[in-house]
Amino acid sequence: MVNYVVLFWLIFSSASAQTVLKVSGEVAQPLHLQATDLKVLPHVEIKAADRDGKEHRYSGIPVIELLKKVGVTVGGQLRGENLVKYALIRAADGYEVLFALPELDPEFSNRTIILAESMDGAALPAGMGPYRIVVPEEKKPARWIREVREIEIRFAK
Amino acid sequence: MTRSLPLLLSLLLMGIAFAFTTNPPYELQIPPSFGHRYTIPEDNPLTVEGVALGRFLFYDSLLSKNNTISCSSCHQQALAFTDGFNLSIGVSGRPTFRNSMSLANLLWVRNFFWDGHSKTLEAQALIPMNHPDEMGLAPEKSAQKLQQTKFYPKRFQKAFGTNQITPKLMAQALAQFERTLISANSPYDQYLRGKYTLTPAEKRGLDLFMRGSNPDRGIRGANCAHCHGGAQFFQNRFHNNGLDASPLDPGRQEVTGFEEDFARFRVPTLRNIALTAPYMHDGRFKTLEEVVNHYSDHIAQSRTLSADLRGMISLTSSEKKDLIAFLHTLTDREFIRNPAFSNPF
Repeated sequence: MVNYVVLFWLIFSSASAQTVLKVSGEVAQPLHLQATDLKVLPHVEIKAADRDGKEHRYSGIPVIELLKKVGVTVGGQLRGENLVKYALIRAADGYEVLFALPELDPEFSNRTIILAESMDGAALPAGMGPYRIVVPEEKKPARWIREVREIEIRFAK
Repeated sequence: MTRSLPLLLSLLLMGIAFAFTTNPPYELQIPPSFGHRYTIPEDNPLTVEGVALGRFLFYDSLLSKNNTISCSSCHQQALAFTDGFNLSIGVSGRPTFRNSMSLANLLWVRNFFWDGHSKTLEAQALIPMNHPDEMGLAPEKSAQKLQQTKFYPKRFQKAFGTNQITPKLMAQALAQFERTLISANSPYDQYLRGKYTLTPAEKRGLDLFMRGSNPDRGIRGANCAHCHGGAQFFQNRFHNNGLDASPLDPGRQEVTGFEEDFARFRVPTLRNIALTAPYMHDGRFKTLEEVVNHYSDHIAQSRTLSADLRGMISLTSSEKKDLIAFLHTLTDREFIRNPAFSNPF
């Protein structure tokens, strides 16, 4: 019985300790985040129309919150040469999209780009989740990158 | 002694200058449409002598346990650097785990092997050498074999400034040669430059290849370009392309550990695809007809099936023929006949 408990604990702890999102590059503190780390970050709910043309409710973390957590030059520091920094976001399958930092910063933009965890109250389905970027008001959802695994901040050279 | 020091120094400087002048950089011809999003390691710039040495190594069966297998055994130029087998046979006589991949345009590839487990060509090159079912010889032992020849020490000296042969230098030379294997002069490329006229079937195939299906507007499309698009006809991505309902090969999952990566494999280039049969990571399809039939009609559902493949395309038989006609325009005869890539022995 004790063995089963230990086994269960081992399986559970190894599964839950998996890094689900890496944030690296031009940051003060690169982070390997687990699902539990993401849960405690500020969440918002936004409405946006997906490729199907229908509006859905998406809940998740504003990408700006992730950038603040790792120490990216946003807000008052987003000036001068920092304006040529960008976030390269990479999915499990290798698909990549890019956002210039001002696109992600509420001091520049009215729209809130989020790392969504749920759609219409349910976790994102396999092939889309667990995390997907949602970009409100973008006409073509090609940057709504699914299965996000990494965010890398880089300088344009 | 003190009087000879300036002489020695100047001789040394002359020697260094000589080494540089006799091994000029190798100038890659980058097709403009391919772009410059590639990385060459800083400690392994391409040089004329390095590329030449890599070519000798690529074609030399000395690198194998029983002197019968070279890189070129499974990567033959006439077949766009594949071998025509579903799985390859190395020194052990046992088949390899997966199908031999084409070596065209590796400069732009960021993860090597079907599961992407090598990040650089330098790292990749040593793996088949060491594998018991491929070349079956530890690279350290290959280096010793090469060291004992008359042929190689002087060539390593020219390429790298040392005649001490190491696995690292062997891998660097091989990587240099492989980075020169650029294929960008197929009839399709000539069509883009206005030098070739596509036949009506090839043009219809091109349209099917590039377009997504849009029934509301009456547009038929196979949308192959979604994954195999861009000038190189591949993307650095991994997908489960629906070969099996219960896949046996875990593919990318073995590299990342993520359950979502189960049965995902690299999206390979479609350049020279008519030459690189059989197809898929296990070489299960013998012909392009079988491949197109698979994507059109036989996608197997499974939990990690690519979201891009969840709807059936269901092409007509004439559409399939058109698509295959277009795929044949990606065969680059200049690439497979380029003397710079051929066996130098």
